[in-house]
Amino acid sequence: MLILQDVTIATEGKEILNNVNLEFGPGIHFIVGPNGAGKSTLAHAIMSNPKYDITGGMKYNDTQLDELATWERAQLGIFLSFQNPTPIEGMSNFRLIKEAMNMGTTSSIMDKLNGFRGLAKELNLPEGWDKKELNVQASGGEKKKNELIQMKMLDPSVAILDEPDSGLDVDAINSLIEQLSDFNNKDKTIIIVSHYEKLLKSFEPSTVTVVANGTTTQTTDISVVTKVLADGFKDFA
Amino acid sequence: MNDLYPEGFVTPVESEDFEPGLTRDIVLKLSALKEEPQWLTEFRLKAFDHLQTIKEPTWSIVNYKPIDYQGMRFYSAPKFTEEGDIPQDVLDTFEKLGVPLHERDALLGLAPKVAVDVVFDSVSIATTFQAELAEHGIIFCSISEAVKNHPELVKKYLGSVISYRDNYFATLNSAVFSDGTFCYIPKGVRCPLELNTYFRINARNTGQFERTLIVADDDSFVSYLEGCTAPAYSENTLHAAVVELITLDSAEIKYSTVQNWYPGDENGVGGVLNFVTKRGICKGDNSKISWTQVETGSAVTWKYPSCILRGDNSVGEFYSVAVTKHKQQADTGTKMIHVGKNTRSTIISKGISSGDSVNTYRGLVQIGKNAHNSRNYTECDSLMLNNSQALTLPTVSQYNSTSVVEHEASAGKLNEEALYYLQCKGLSEEDAINCLVTGFCKSVFQELPLEFAAEANKLLSVTLEGAVG
Repeated sequence: MLILQDVTIATEGKEILNNVNLEFGPGIHFIVGPNGAGKSTLAHAIMSNPKYDITGGMKYNDTQLDELATWERAQLGIFLSFQNPTPIEGMSNFRLIKEAMNMGTTSSIMDKLNGFRGLAKELNLPEGWDKKELNVQASGGEKKKNELIQMKMLDPSVAILDEPDSGLDVDAINSLIEQLSDFNNKDKTIIIVSHYEKLLKSFEPSTVTVVANGTTTQTTDISVVTKVLADGFKDFA
Repeated sequence: MNDLYPEGFVTPVESEDFEPGLTRDIVLKLSALKEEPQWLTEFRLKAFDHLQTIKEPTWSIVNYKPIDYQGMRFYSAPKFTEEGDIPQDVLDTFEKLGVPLHERDALLGLAPKVAVDVVFDSVSIATTFQAELAEHGIIFCSISEAVKNHPELVKKYLGSVISYRDNYFATLNSAVFSDGTFCYIPKGVRCPLELNTYFRINARNTGQFERTLIVADDDSFVSYLEGCTAPAYSENTLHAAVVELITLDSAEIKYSTVQNWYPGDENGVGGVLNFVTKRGICKGDNSKISWTQVETGSAVTWKYPSCILRGDNSVGEFYSVAVTKHKQQADTGTKMIHVGKNTRSTIISKGISSGDSVNTYRGLVQIGKNAHNSRNYTECDSLMLNNSQALTLPTVSQYNSTSVVEHEASAGKLNEEALYYLQCKGLSEEDAINCLVTGFCKSVFQELPLEFAAEANKLLSVTLEGAVG
């Protein structure tokens, strides 16, 4: 269970979200909201992006997260798929997996590489994807698919996906839904930030969080999804 | 023992030393000990006499305490056993350093198959795979051996690229060089093995002055790599080497260096003064010389591996990664002297600095008036990890209108967003920094022979450990 308690997020002295009280247990969770409301900010705050000043409490199972660095949170099993993955020159797609899986796994490097290549193939990525430079000279869609490969390979307990659909074509959206369904099991917590109808309609979420007007509202009443897809967010403004 | 410099140990070994001091007698004694021919003794003496008339260069951006040449030894060699064998301690030293001294290990696949010449203080103590190389007509031996067995080649080429009057340290080396590596690749031969010289300084307060001479005859190719380490002494140790390369028509020499001399401690105490003159001449048409260097060690580095592109269509390359931390100082770069027509040169220099270190790129691209249609491309990138200094000092002189010189430069800090991205995927801050720095160096590392690229990566991470904070 990932818990945010009375969290406030600010940057450069300007408050973006306050009074954030959220709970994410096993299952699928949606985060929706108008553009610029702070959905990505919330996702990055959970990872403790250094550009945000965060107060309040965050807890994952029995671990208090507040003092933990980004990588320590990641190593606890919290994963963030980026909306705009950062280009890393001179580092290959597979090297990241190798480095990130360095600890705590017993599978051989060959197993990892084969797993990686299998996923790249399923996602229709070009031959030799493992050797391509990470998020350099890749299309928006390819970068998104690569984030998905990372999620499958690193196998986190909590996966936060920040607009995993943007940049993907129809076929790729179908693969995304397939991969997410495959990843989804009773132990996983999957938090999806999106406003894409097809994606939202493909899953039955445990909760829906609306980010609007400088704060968040979480509900288990999933009819909210249908409502905002039809009418937008004006009722939350 | 310093964890960050595991090579900093001292081997207890009985040695044969000269008394300290730099005199004409010392030069004569060295020449006599090596039973050198008259012409070489004269070469040394001319250099010694010239040395008395010149001073150390002062134009580089490095500071060090005055070198006490009279308090330093110019020769130290391990004593061989009564049976004439190399002392076990010396063999163990190279074992510990991972230098493959046994051909057997390479044949069993336990070590990369490379021919190695190892130099311990002032002497070359062993050279492997000589017989196999000789089958191809390749000469690979210590320079002392070459003087004895191939005097005509040594006489013809020694000092032909770097005159004994070139600069203070080259002059000093010409007077007192004690050993080094000689290599000759005959016409039409592609050297089947990587050739490797490993330099180890062990004795305290003793300078190392080695000389490397590589000649690649018409249509030949050789890839050569040198590595080096030294104990962590609290005084400076002087290392003043001279390396000369010669390529004849359509020949190619690929020369790689992984320089890991003791850098001194975090307060700048001790460390090697690495004052080296390296130059190659592309004498023949269509020939090529490529320098690749990974410089992580030494308290002070002063070196500019250069190419004189005399043959038409000849090619010079310089790929460099120089890493400095704590109080290290590096003033390094290259000179590309275009003389022949259609000559091309490429310079890729990556400087990484941290702590209070100073990292300077100094380069000269000179396109002569007859070097028509020549091209140079230069790229200098600096990465500063904290308060360190990075300087880029390029000089271009172009004397014809048909040639093109391009220069690109960048200087910056580590990309914070990239660091954050990698940490979000579970890499610790240190691993993330490592990955970014390795990525920054990739275009240079990929020029290294495969066997050594991994080692260079490892060396880089060890060097950076504790350098950022």
